[in-house]
Amino acid sequence: MGSVVVEKVGGRSSATSCFSRYPLKFFIPKKVGSSKTDAVWVYALNYGGGIVSGDHISCKFSVGDSCTMVLTTQGSTKVYKSVGSKCSQQILEARIGSNALLAIIPDPVTCFSTARYYQKQVFSMSSDSNLVIVDWITSGRHESGEKWDFDLYRSTNNIFLEDGQPLFLDTMLLEKEKTGCVQEQMHNYQVIAMVVLLGPKMQYIQNLVQDHVKNIMSEQLQRPSAALSHHQQRAKADHFITKPSFVASCSAFGPKKSGLLVRVAAETTESVYKFLRLQLAPMEPMIGVPPYR
Amino acid sequence: MQINEGHSTPCFAGPFLQWSQWQLLDSLLPTGGFAHSFGLEAAVQTHLVSDSNDLKTFVIHILENTGSLLLPFVYSASMLPTLENWHKLDKILDATLTNEVSRKASISQGSALMRVASAVFSEVPSLKTMRDASLGLGTVSFHHAPVFGLICGALGFDRTSSQRAYMFITMRDVISAATRLNLIGPLGAALLQHQVAPIAEVILEKWMNSAVEEACQTMPLLDTVQGCHGYLFSRLFSS
Repeated sequence: MGSVVVEKVGGRSSATSCFSRYPLKFFIPKKVGSSKTDAVWVYALNYGGGIVSGDHISCKFSVGDSCTMVLTTQGSTKVYKSVGSKCSQQILEARIGSNALLAIIPDPVTCFSTARYYQKQVFSMSSDSNLVIVDWITSGRHESGEKWDFDLYRSTNNIFLEDGQPLFLDTMLLEKEKTGCVQEQMHNYQVIAMVVLLGPKMQYIQNLVQDHVKNIMSEQLQRPSAALSHHQQRAKADHFITKPSFVASCSAFGPKKSGLLVRVAAETTESVYKFLRLQLAPMEPMIGVPPYR
Repeated sequence: MQINEGHSTPCFAGPFLQWSQWQLLDSLLPTGGFAHSFGLEAAVQTHLVSDSNDLKTFVIHILENTGSLLLPFVYSASMLPTLENWHKLDKILDATLTNEVSRKASISQGSALMRVASAVFSEVPSLKTMRDASLGLGTVSFHHAPVFGLICGALGFDRTSSQRAYMFITMRDVISAATRLNLIGPLGAALLQHQVAPIAEVILEKWMNSAVEEACQTMPLLDTVQGCHGYLFSRLFSS
């Protein structure tokens, strides 16, 4: 249904093949950032501004050796309500060459009430390939009170090395019928995000992010918690217990810790945009503009 | 009497099996399970768990995630307790446990369990031979769920009981962590364990006998919070 191949042409990353079919459309601007930038940006657009019940979208990307490709969106991906219990899905398969970089930096997915949606992203790469994935979801049209009111959301991100060895296998499932009221487990958090930074070119950014997240969180977890007690007085003004509005943690993964996973839970979408902007800003020289500007 | 399904019977009989099975589930077995809080300590410090209702909900959510993410590994290992299958499951689980805190806890608990089981259950010599072969290779992480499934299979648990047993010890360990964190007293803990048991059984029935390819996490907030364990100002547990 859609595919893009990026290869070196005259020493520069170029889309040598680009094909898309309704309801998916790819838009490749001629230039992003300075003329020194060697990156192909691909905007993925859905006709109608969102994913309609029953849509099945699949695309394949190939990033040639030493090339850079960025995949992004023009706005959040809205998944509309399910009609007749149909599930919509998006499948992405990407092959990343040696010393190449693929950055997938979309806006978040927002599933409307009763929506059923499944996405799967499978990556195949070499040990010196580089990959950045941002995968995130908001609770719905939370201003109108729709909070985690969709029926099914499942997101899979699988990363394999050349020999087929699994490096990273992650599936998140939120399903009303199976696991119960999703809102209950989310407390007041409206956004769940995941960032993967993988490969030698990402080392520097990984170190910065780890330090930054450690600082944000250590500040919030300063005070040791009091033990619970039946006699504990509640609701004293100066003993106000609040959950942090932004929670993040980092995990290294892979042989030689070549990968970093960041997980985020936040009360507002804006706070996550701000976080992503800040953490991914060092990518500017590689892709031409800082992500999530 | 449990009947083994789908693999060769170990070389000892009947009632004696039950002594070994109970010993595997007894908290007395020195497997170091009590160094881990399953994210409870971090949940308390981020104020996700503030009272006994929150604690009960937390335990249920941990069991839900155990069912969806880890039961497939217990199931597969107990059904096919070969060296090859165990190593395959170990590798897949290593890529699946993307949370570094829970990945390290799994390796620590699995290694300890395998060491203890191969020494204690000497009437099942395959445990020791498999352990020695795996140590020699250096590429086996000894993750907990597959090791547990392997040992259950070797001790004559049927496939449902193996998975139920894994849910049981997970609940046992989380509630034990809660008492050590002073969130609940010993009697309260016993009451909670009994109250949650039927809920755990429903969770088991939902997720049991699933393929490893379907393993998924269902509690992303708890996963994020558990990952914060390393940032805690003061901690009792290693995870």
